[in-house]
Amino acid sequence: MQSKRTLFLIEIAIFTALALALDLLPFLSFKVWAQGGSISFAMIPIFIVAFRWGLKGGLLAGFLYGMLQIATGTAWIAHPVQGALDYPVAFTVLGLAGLFAPAVQSALKNDNTKRFIGMVTLGVLVGVLLRFVAHYLAGVVFFESLIDGMNIWMYSLVYNGSYLLPSFFINVLAVSFLFNKRPSLVATTA
Amino acid sequence: MNKLILGRYFPGESYLHRLDPRLKLVAALYFIGLLFFVENGQGYIWLFLFTFLLMRLSGVSYSVYLKGVKPLIWLILFAVMLRVLFTGGGTIYFSLGPIMISRFGLLSGFYTFSRFIMIILISTVVTLTTKSIDLTDAIHALFKPLRLLRIPVDDFALMLSISLRFVPNLLDETQKVMDAQRARGVVFGEGNLIEQMKKLVPIVLPLFVSSLKRAEEMADVMEVKGYRSGEKRSSFRQLKWHLRDVAAIVCLIVLTLGVTFFNTFDFVLLFNI
Repeated sequence: MQSKRTLFLIEIAIFTALALALDLLPFLSFKVWAQGGSISFAMIPIFIVAFRWGLKGGLLAGFLYGMLQIATGTAWIAHPVQGALDYPVAFTVLGLAGLFAPAVQSALKNDNTKRFIGMVTLGVLVGVLLRFVAHYLAGVVFFESLIDGMNIWMYSLVYNGSYLLPSFFINVLAVSFLFNKRPSLVATTA
Repeated sequence: MNKLILGRYFPGESYLHRLDPRLKLVAALYFIGLLFFVENGQGYIWLFLFTFLLMRLSGVSYSVYLKGVKPLIWLILFAVMLRVLFTGGGTIYFSLGPIMISRFGLLSGFYTFSRFIMIILISTVVTLTTKSIDLTDAIHALFKPLRLLRIPVDDFALMLSISLRFVPNLLDETQKVMDAQRARGVVFGEGNLIEQMKKLVPIVLPLFVSSLKRAEEMADVMEVKGYRSGEKRSSFRQLKWHLRDVAAIVCLIVLTLGVTFFNTFDFVLLFNI
């Protein structure tokens, strides 16, 4: 007898590792800015966990991914508040895509492709949008500490938008496509 | 490839390598905090001396540190430029419209530069001398008080170490799937973004499916071996507090006293705003 909780923990751990692996591999991620901010597949495992296990799983996977980047030294922290916002917070909010997990799963069960893709898009949109807000604020905090009176709000907007907007489209495409090809990815076995 | 995964750890036996990872983590955070309290140039020089001492102690060559700074140099120079060109005050050496080069501008450019460089260098010192797994243990130890709020800190630490353990395996696996695709004639890194995306989906899909299978098997094995979430576990790696850790704390206190001292008394007036 396998308890659901152990599987839940392990699955999230492995998918988080997968997220980091996808971010590290050349060809699989396109670096827009040298100091982080890449268009990559890294968010897909987080979204898959979110749609499989719901809100709790998504938030946990996101938070874990943020911390993993700090533990492996891939994180870039220049200011305490910026560090907290850019890593634990920004990736945790991705998990809010899990709010749409029940809708996605029921749409997939009923073979309602249109509704299914719509729900996935909505979930990914919510996640990426909130991640953007976190990075945006982090950017403002960061530049505020350097430059007074400059147009920092605009700068952070352009900087973070430049990689998150393409990332959004890539993730919607990839997640919908993957689930469509392999519906078993969404259904939890336990 | 492996360099990336195991953090950026550089094997060694230096004093810094042997320090308690909890202490290193907290000390690095403390140092970064301290940077924001420095008020004049001599304070920055004092902290620079300390940073270079740490770099020497780590036994890692300076070129490795330079590599850490390199990807960020443009951002740093950009920030410094903004500082220099738009800060007024003191003697003005040059001005053109809103742009000017003044004494204050040059000084605050120097402050910005120093702060950035030292943050990067100090965090590089920590990641070069500490294994990722030790950093995970340190994070675990520091978050332990959250147990009181019924947050499952131990489960979380377990997940973090499982993730760390599996990143290399997953990288290998990805590489294999990519090679299999290459053997079929796929060329990566060519074409526009959409074309590249299309090539990547057949790589990612088998990875996800095999990860799910692996997670299931691993959960089974762990349960068979008696793992129960929420029960007290012992650890193979034990962190111990040594005399050298106390010595490091003394160093930090001296460092802080130095900063306070230099903030209060100005010797090198050249560097002040």
